[in-house]
Amino acid sequence: MKTLKIFNGVTGLALATVLLLHSSCNTKKIENRYLYEVQTQEIYQSASQKQTLKTTTQFVSIAYSDLFNSSITNDVLNKMDIAYQSLGDKKIIEDMIIKTFLQQAGSLVPSNSAMRADIPTFVQNTYLRFYNRKPNEFEAWKVKDMIEKNTDLTPKMIYYTLMTSDEYRYY
Amino acid sequence: MKRKQFIKNAALTAAGSMVVPYILPSGRLFASSGTRRANHVVVCLFAGGVRNLESVQKAEGNLMRNTLNGTESISADIAPGVTMLPTLTSTPLQNAGTLFKEFRYASGPTGHYNAHAAAITGVYSDQTIQLKQPPPFPTVFEYYRKHNSPTNNALNAWWVSNALGPYPFLNYSMYDGYGAAYRANMIQPDSFFRQSAVLGNPVSFTAAEKVKCDMLRDFANGQFKIPTQAISSGMVNSPADAEQLQLFLNDTMSSLSTIQDPWGTGLMTGDMKNIYFGIEILKRFKPELTVINMTDIDIAHFDYTKYVNAIGLADYSLYKLWDAIQTTSGLANDTVLIVVPEHGRNQLPNTVVDAYGRKALDHNNDAMSREIFCLMAGSGIKQGQVFNTPQGETIDIVPTVANILGFDADIPTGLLNGRVLNEAYT
Repeated sequence: MKTLKIFNGVTGLALATVLLLHSSCNTKKIENRYLYEVQTQEIYQSASQKQTLKTTTQFVSIAYSDLFNSSITNDVLNKMDIAYQSLGDKKIIEDMIIKTFLQQAGSLVPSNSAMRADIPTFVQNTYLRFYNRKPNEFEAWKVKDMIEKNTDLTPKMIYYTLMTSDEYRYY
Repeated sequence: MKRKQFIKNAALTAAGSMVVPYILPSGRLFASSGTRRANHVVVCLFAGGVRNLESVQKAEGNLMRNTLNGTESISADIAPGVTMLPTLTSTPLQNAGTLFKEFRYASGPTGHYNAHAAAITGVYSDQTIQLKQPPPFPTVFEYYRKHNSPTNNALNAWWVSNALGPYPFLNYSMYDGYGAAYRANMIQPDSFFRQSAVLGNPVSFTAAEKVKCDMLRDFANGQFKIPTQAISSGMVNSPADAEQLQLFLNDTMSSLSTIQDPWGTGLMTGDMKNIYFGIEILKRFKPELTVINMTDIDIAHFDYTKYVNAIGLADYSLYKLWDAIQTTSGLANDTVLIVVPEHGRNQLPNTVVDAYGRKALDHNNDAMSREIFCLMAGSGIKQGQVFNTPQGETIDIVPTVANILGFDADIPTGLLNGRVLNEAYT
């Protein structure tokens, strides 16, 4: 019985070896090749990664391009910069700059009806536009909820609010 | 009277007698820990480096006819280059106060920023003060906002600067325990309001809309953690004060077209504009502590006659400031005005000759560039007093301001080396 067990063990080992050699030395041409590629993913900065305060010129020029989808002229940027230096309370001057931009013709602010026709998309696009990231699930739900519950909340008010928030000051 | 009623009345009377003494004319409930001499102080840094020779010593005639007694005529050779505006008063300012004719900027480089910093911090510095960086010692604004009791908001402390560059940084220091949280509101009015073309016409929201905006902003801010390194920059104004300030800025901007020549003089120099806007701030906010400067006199580096001219115009502006204080309810009879140049100028001229053959003046630490004057006028100040011998210096300004506003005893010992100019008080 003991001899039979040894025989079975040796036979099994030999069989496994033969199978292994057969598979590794198979010269058959592979017909189907699988190419593995990385699917394109858009990577956004998270709020917690924003650690650097925008400089004055960064703040003004980014705000302008966010609202007008074009670059601010050097002349206007320079004037805004002087006004910025001329007032000690930077929050106030930032507020005034944003309010001025929002009032100018050509600022790309969607209509109230367009916003309310598809609030989730508006919220996502607004976060991408100003915060350079998508809202997380809670933010998306909360802002959508605020817009739905406050029928007098307009896109201009929302733009103003996000552009004068703490996160907008950082990158 | 029933027993219960008697006890109630007695309790109310006792409570009233405890509270009433602390309700001050300014409406404040509690007095500062020290006694106040006045509830408002305006310090005017006059006006970009002026020698005693041309100011209080009248070497070219009395160029400061609204400030100093006397009608000495202007030197004939430069008179054609000097615009003397009409004198605004028959009682020059020196009669309303005490004039220190031989004040001193005793130590440190005679540079504009160093000397401004010494006047505003009460500390001379021989070190090179880094430009574009707050001064190393606490400013008078920080002392006021930290130690005055009760703590007052930033609308009560103003630094009205006539120039950008390093000057906006003088509203707070880097000193540990003070800093941005106690800073003053700073404005360089001319630079700010000149940008009305790009900054005017902002969108406005109703009160109800503002509430909605605040609600959304609070939510957004709650989702974002401000990096710790930025927190120390502090906030100046509460939302309510910021609202008031923005209203003032918008009001002023929208009325700019009507205030091109508010004094009807036909000219409005940088100094005149700075004083004009400073007056508007005083009228609107009635701050307890204001520091305002003028700088046009520094033309002396290049043109002596224009320097002489600028002294006269600064004198005119100064009296406008004094007059506004005297005619503004809440400031009149409750304000001390302190006028002091930041430094003087050299005894010997440089080589630049002007159209009238006069040589220009620099300021390079010689004895004359340290000789200045100081005039204190207003509530509780001796009138018509003149000190002709050296007495008082730049670093005495901060202790004196603190004493007038009643918080000097609360400033930690060792921070200030100057003294209170007690001899000016009645």
